[in-house]
Amino acid sequence: MSALKRVQQWATFARVWHIYDASWQNPFKSAELLKKYLMGLHKPIYHPMNDCGDHVIVINSGDIALPGDEWKRRVYFHHTGYPGGATWTLAWELHSKDPTMVLRKAVYNSMDGNLQRRYTMERLHLFPDANVPTNLLKNVSNQIQQLKAKPKRLDHYSENQVKQFPKIFDYPKDYILK
Amino acid sequence: MSLFKPTFSVLRRCVALNVSIRTSESRSIKRWVAPTLKELYRRREKVGPEPEKPRSSYLEWNYEAEVFAFGKRLGEEFDRDILKKALIQKEYANIQEIKAKETGQNLPTITDNYELIPEGDGIISSYVMTELSKKYPEDIAKAVTNYLTSEEMLSYIASHIGLKDLILTNEFPVANSTLCNTFKAVVAALKQSQNLAQAEKFIHDFVLSQLNGKNVYEIWDPKEPYKYLTRLLHQRGIKEIEPRLCNQSASNTVLACFQVGLYSNRELLGIGWGESVHIAKDTAALDAIQRVYKNYTTQLENK
Repeated sequence: MSALKRVQQWATFARVWHIYDASWQNPFKSAELLKKYLMGLHKPIYHPMNDCGDHVIVINSGDIALPGDEWKRRVYFHHTGYPGGATWTLAWELHSKDPTMVLRKAVYNSMDGNLQRRYTMERLHLFPDANVPTNLLKNVSNQIQQLKAKPKRLDHYSENQVKQFPKIFDYPKDYILK
Repeated sequence: MSLFKPTFSVLRRCVALNVSIRTSESRSIKRWVAPTLKELYRRREKVGPEPEKPRSSYLEWNYEAEVFAFGKRLGEEFDRDILKKALIQKEYANIQEIKAKETGQNLPTITDNYELIPEGDGIISSYVMTELSKKYPEDIAKAVTNYLTSEEMLSYIASHIGLKDLILTNEFPVANSTLCNTFKAVVAALKQSQNLAQAEKFIHDFVLSQLNGKNVYEIWDPKEPYKYLTRLLHQRGIKEIEPRLCNQSASNTVLACFQVGLYSNRELLGIGWGESVHIAKDTAALDAIQRVYKNYTTQLENK
C-alpha cells in the first residue's frame, strides 16, 4: 500500500466530532437527528458491521423543550428486580434529578436494541449546560444545525427595541394593562 | 515405502478376509482395523515428509524433450545449442570437467553461460529503462527498472516460465541468484538465436508485464516528498508553495486526522491527509508530485 492510499483510508475512517445545542429543542426529534451522526448513517461507507460512527457533544441538555404537556404526562418506568421494586418517574421529576437523562434515554430508545447500541451511546457526550471540558472542545470540527432556531424571549430584548417594534394598534390612553 | 510393503500386504489380505466375513454374518468393522491404521499413520508421521527431489531425478525425465518444449511453450525459436549453453552454470561445468578427467574420458566441450549473463543483463536493463522513460520521468523510470530487474523479480519470472527444472547446476533447491542469472542468459541466448528485436519482445512480454495491476507510485517512494516537490516546481518556475491546513477532526485524540492542501498562487497543487500535520503535508506533496507527472507524456510531445 502506498503512502497516499494509506492516508486515504485513514481519512475515510476518521472520526468527526460534532456539537449540538439542545436548548429549546424537542429531545425525541433531536434523537432521530443525532442517531444518524452517532451511527455514521450519514456516510457513504455506512454498513451495520462497519465501525464508522462519529462523536456528538450535546450542550444545554437542561434546556430541552418537551412538546405539549409531556413533562407531566411522560412516565419513565424502572424496576429494581425485587418484588415491589417498580417505580414510575415523571419526566419533570427525572429532569430535575439528572438534566441529561431525558435526552440520553431518547437517543438510546431511538436506536435498535443490538450489541452496537451501548458502544454507540459511548460516543454521545451530554452536558446540562455550556460548560464543556476544553480537551473535548478541541476535537470539534462541525456544528449540527438545530431543528428549530431558538427564539429570543421578550424579556431579553431591550426596552428600546420593544418600544420601536411596529405595532398593529395602539391601546387607548385610559386602557389599563393587566 | 518399501518399509511398509509387508504390512500393506498383510492388511490387504486381512481386508479381503474381512469382506468375505462381512457378506456372511458380521456387519461390523473389525476391532484391529482402527489401531492398525493409526499405527501406520504414526509411522508415516515419524518418518516425516519425503525430501523434495529434483524433477530430473524422476525416471521419465527427458532433458532433450524438455529443452525443446521450453522454447515451443513460450513461442520462441531458440537455437538448441545456445539455449543448452545458457542453462549450464559455471560450477556445474567445472565439476563435469573434473569428473571427466578423473574417469579418463575424452573431454566433451562443455561451455557455460558465464559470458551470456552480463550480455542478457545489459539487454534487459537497457530495454526496460528505454521503455519506461517513454512514459515516466527519469527518477521513476530508474526506480521501476531497479524493481523489475531485481534478483527477486527475475528469479520469480524464471521459476514461473519453468526454468527451475531445466537449469544444470550443483545446488538443489536452485538459489534465486542462479535463477536470475539463467534468465539473463536465456535472454542473451534468444538474441543470439534470432535478433535483438525478438529478445526485446520477450522482455516486453515477461518482464514489463509484471507491472500489470501495480502502481508505479507504490514502487517509487521519494524519501522527502516535500523537498522533492519544491525542487521539481522550482525547475518549472513555481517558486512559492503555501501549505494550508484545510480540515481537521478529533485533533486531541489518537484518531486525529488532518487535511493539508498545498497552494501556489491560489491554485491547489495537491491535497493530503495524515495523523499529524507533518504527515499530511508530506502526503500532500506526494499527491502534488503525481499531479505534476500525470501528463508527462503529453509534455514530451509538446516539446
